[in-house]
Amino acid sequence: MESQNRLWRVLLLALPILVFSVLVIWPLLSSFYYSFTNWNGFNRDYEFLGLRNFAKIWTDRLFFNAIVNTTIWMAAALVLPTLTGLFLALLLDRQVRGARIFKTVFYLPICLSAIVVGQIWIWIYQPDWGLLNTFVKLAGNPDFNYAWLARPDSALFAVIVAWSWQQTGLSMVIYLAGLTSIPSEMLEVCEIEGATAWQRIRRVVIPLLTPSTVVVVALSMINSLKGFDILYIMTGGGPFNSSDTLAMHMYNESFKKYLMGYGSAISVVLFLIALTIIGVYFRQLRKVDEIYG
Amino acid sequence: MADVAASVPARFNPWPATVFVALCILAALFLAPTAGVLLSSVKTTRAIALGDLWSVPERVYLENYVEVLSNPAVHRYFLNTLLVTVPATFASIALGVLAGHVFAKLPFRGSNILFLIVVSGMFFPPQVILVPLFRLFNGLGLIDTLWPIILVHTALGIPICTLLMRNFFAAVPNALREAALIEGANEWQVLTRVSLPLSLPALAVLATLQFTWIWNDFLWPLIFTQSDDKRTIMIGIVNLRGQYTVAWGVQGALSLVASLPTLVIFLFFQRYFIKGMTMGAIKG
Repeated sequence: MESQNRLWRVLLLALPILVFSVLVIWPLLSSFYYSFTNWNGFNRDYEFLGLRNFAKIWTDRLFFNAIVNTTIWMAAALVLPTLTGLFLALLLDRQVRGARIFKTVFYLPICLSAIVVGQIWIWIYQPDWGLLNTFVKLAGNPDFNYAWLARPDSALFAVIVAWSWQQTGLSMVIYLAGLTSIPSEMLEVCEIEGATAWQRIRRVVIPLLTPSTVVVVALSMINSLKGFDILYIMTGGGPFNSSDTLAMHMYNESFKKYLMGYGSAISVVLFLIALTIIGVYFRQLRKVDEIYG
Repeated sequence: MADVAASVPARFNPWPATVFVALCILAALFLAPTAGVLLSSVKTTRAIALGDLWSVPERVYLENYVEVLSNPAVHRYFLNTLLVTVPATFASIALGVLAGHVFAKLPFRGSNILFLIVVSGMFFPPQVILVPLFRLFNGLGLIDTLWPIILVHTALGIPICTLLMRNFFAAVPNALREAALIEGANEWQVLTRVSLPLSLPALAVLATLQFTWIWNDFLWPLIFTQSDDKRTIMIGIVNLRGQYTVAWGVQGALSLVASLPTLVIFLFFQRYFIKGMTMGAIKG
């Protein structure tokens, strides 16, 4: 019996593990290898540079710029959708009329591609007739034609708003799932004891939602670290690299300048950031599991 | 006295109404961007340029859709996207079923660690494997074909498919498997005749998720294809921006047409979609 089980394990796992190893694990490991080379993407040969690519990272002004932008991008992409999603979930949790339709509306953007989302928001920010400037004009500023995506001061934040619009539904759904696990008796007791709605939410509901918050936070950080398409279509990292994140910078160095060795070094940094987030996430999950069962 | 008190209507509670109104306003804000594109897609370029984008048109102008749907490049993009999405969706789910069964029903020493390694694959930014995969497929002469996109999506789908299938299979009672084995079934028959028929919702969840993600993907076709007749629809949107620079209505129509398959899937299979999103996120 056991020998048969062993045979089936090998038979069933062979194909998935082979595909996963060849197309995910092996490339992951060889990224480290190429980060020590100066491969240009086309020639078969390359030289071994040792740690020179990593030394370059420290002096690359654009890399530092990308780190700063990634920090802003990730922090904002963490706070905005999380808070909006929590707010919407709290509103929707009280059996409102039409709750299902509302949920669909808030969740809809997640099924759109980042390219389409970018396209939609390019129009909102369009200086002459975009929705945003139309409103500003109506509000008594008829000559307003600020180009949100073409100004270094606003480009990154403009994309952050578009990104948050798409991601909010996801955190809302996770919070809604978390809210169903809070027993309604507990809230009724609070009400009888005279707690105000705000106290109930702050002292009971939000602490009990900690497991959902852990998931939302980790997911937001990972998703925003991956974020590339929407930046590519809306700003391309510009103007003047003002919205250039690590993912964008890695693409530009590798596939625009064909510095694939250097690009690999940047991807190693990306990998280490992701690894840190995942490590903390798994540890928090275990902690949450112990406390909340 | 008591009778009088009872006949007085319950004290007006403003909360449900306030919440409802707040939700209506928020929903309108959330829908505005999509509604704007929808509106512009049935307007002439002239009307849009005159600042008439955000009003309801008096007459629905369908020429933008005619333009998009009669463009042979758009047909090509659609066909390519289908040729990538359908096989990759199918293959990734099939591989997830195989691996999920082992992790759920045939655990072995170290299988938990292996499972964790596979699942964590879904958390890493794709940029981490970009360069080596480009080199691999370049060496194989597969750049500018659809093959690398199909293969990479199949591989990148394995983590989520394995995770969901393992969780579903784990919920299938062991007694069923043992009974089937005693009846003389082999492991393959247990999987295909017992576990899989009981896990059809999981397959629906994965089919909606994978189809949507792969259809919407932009990065892999951007890296692996170059010629216009190998591009997928999301790249097509970017390419056609040049051709329709100020034809905003056509661009809007194109965005909507390109999103139609995933929108339809979302509206009809929303339940599965949301279930997949929350399950994939929570059951780490």
